[in-house]
Amino acid sequence: MRTLLIGIDDLLRARPRVVVGRAHGPRQIILLMVVFGFLYGAVMGSFGGVTGERFWQVVYSAAKVPLLLALTFAISLPSFFVINTLLGLRDDFAKALRALVATQAALTVVLASFAPFTALWYASSADYQSALLFNTLMFGSASVTAQLLLLRLYRPLIASNPRHRVMVRLWLVIYAFVGIQMGWVLRPFIGSPHNPTTFFRQEAWGNAYVEVVRIFMKVFGW
Amino acid sequence: MIKSFKQLDGILRGDATRMSAIKDGRIETPIGGLSVVTVFLGAVYGVCMGAYAVIRTGGTDNDAYMQMLASAVKLPLLFFLTLAVTLPSLYVFNALVGSRLSVVSVIRLLVAMLGVMLAVLASFGPIIVFFSVSTESYPFMKLLNVLAAAMAGVLGLAFLLRTLHRLILAQEVIDTPQQLMEALEDDGDESDDEGAEENPAGVLDTVGEGTSNRARSVFRVWVIVFSLVGAQMSWVLRPFIGKPDMPFTWFRERDSNFFIDVLDAIAKLFGA
Repeated sequence: MRTLLIGIDDLLRARPRVVVGRAHGPRQIILLMVVFGFLYGAVMGSFGGVTGERFWQVVYSAAKVPLLLALTFAISLPSFFVINTLLGLRDDFAKALRALVATQAALTVVLASFAPFTALWYASSADYQSALLFNTLMFGSASVTAQLLLLRLYRPLIASNPRHRVMVRLWLVIYAFVGIQMGWVLRPFIGSPHNPTTFFRQEAWGNAYVEVVRIFMKVFGW
Repeated sequence: MIKSFKQLDGILRGDATRMSAIKDGRIETPIGGLSVVTVFLGAVYGVCMGAYAVIRTGGTDNDAYMQMLASAVKLPLLFFLTLAVTLPSLYVFNALVGSRLSVVSVIRLLVAMLGVMLAVLASFGPIIVFFSVSTESYPFMKLLNVLAAAMAGVLGLAFLLRTLHRLILAQEVIDTPQQLMEALEDDGDESDDEGAEENPAGVLDTVGEGTSNRARSVFRVWVIVFSLVGAQMSWVLRPFIGKPDMPFTWFRERDSNFFIDVLDAIAKLFGA
């Protein structure tokens, strides 16, 4: 437990050993991701209450946050790997990978630190739409924070070879592109009070980008 | 197969196209083994493309599996046919401008380029499958695939131009060994030299300054021709994804062209 907490501190301060040393085995990082992802997911899923059937929404949401990050990561990785190689950065790939994985863990830590805000929001407002918006805001802020950390972890890599800057930007583009759709596919995270508790929505999954375009069309009356 | 994958990896990492590897003005990448791996990677991406049809029909429709199979066959075909269509004119103009690149060198280089393209494309496979699983919208899938192919194409063609640049450079300096030495030092590949540049040149990096421009212009024009032919070839060989309301066929009627259809897909996606 103590090493875990020290690990978090190292991670957030972007100490060099996060990337260079072997202080953080993959097991520890995964443990961080699961524990803190669960934590935020559980709070997020508690919108409709925690008793009876709604308890399952808490469990589902808790499970889905680490799942969201892990799946997005796995899907984005192959293209990142090939393009890294193509830019002549294969020798640094292990370091780059460690930085990316550490960022994933940091994202869940930041999210978990926002969990009290979400709980307070839920306690003060029962409006589903605003709960949705609030969680989007939390996820957005946590992502931005985690990306800032990623840039810090990447700084020594960029210093050794400026092409890493291109790669870290490309990673953000691919990861966001996949991640947004993954978040859409894995909904509901919060659980609308009017819908029954389910792991996945019964309706067709649909495409987040197509939906966004549709909403814009509607708003502008095209 | 494993050996060929290692060779492809060597190309991706840039080992096969270092100045030290091509200093006699020839490129030594194998054609046969590399083609096999390239075809395999193309088939992998074809399966990913065809996944949309299978998932949309819930895996019960035999036609959908045929579509998947057809895409797996047609995708490598698309790249090799594009090459076949554009190669003769490339050879003629390359010879006309008096380039010293031999036919075999050019073919080796182009097969290596296809390897790069399809490796990049195959690495986008998981993303395509993921969106196939979760997307109903046909225009979206079409545009996503066009985007993936365009990115793979740009990276592959960039590889081609840079490698060509090095080959021409290497040939130019064969007559003047001193320049060759300088070029080798620029490459930073001689890692036994402590004072050498820290970063080994990547496969997409420009090395040194060249002077022979005509051969390069031929290839620059060819890159554009290859892109246009490739785009239209993909249209000729359609369907790759399988339009939901149309039955499976290996090929479609002659009609329209690639560029009109992409514009059409964009318009449809935005609900026009």
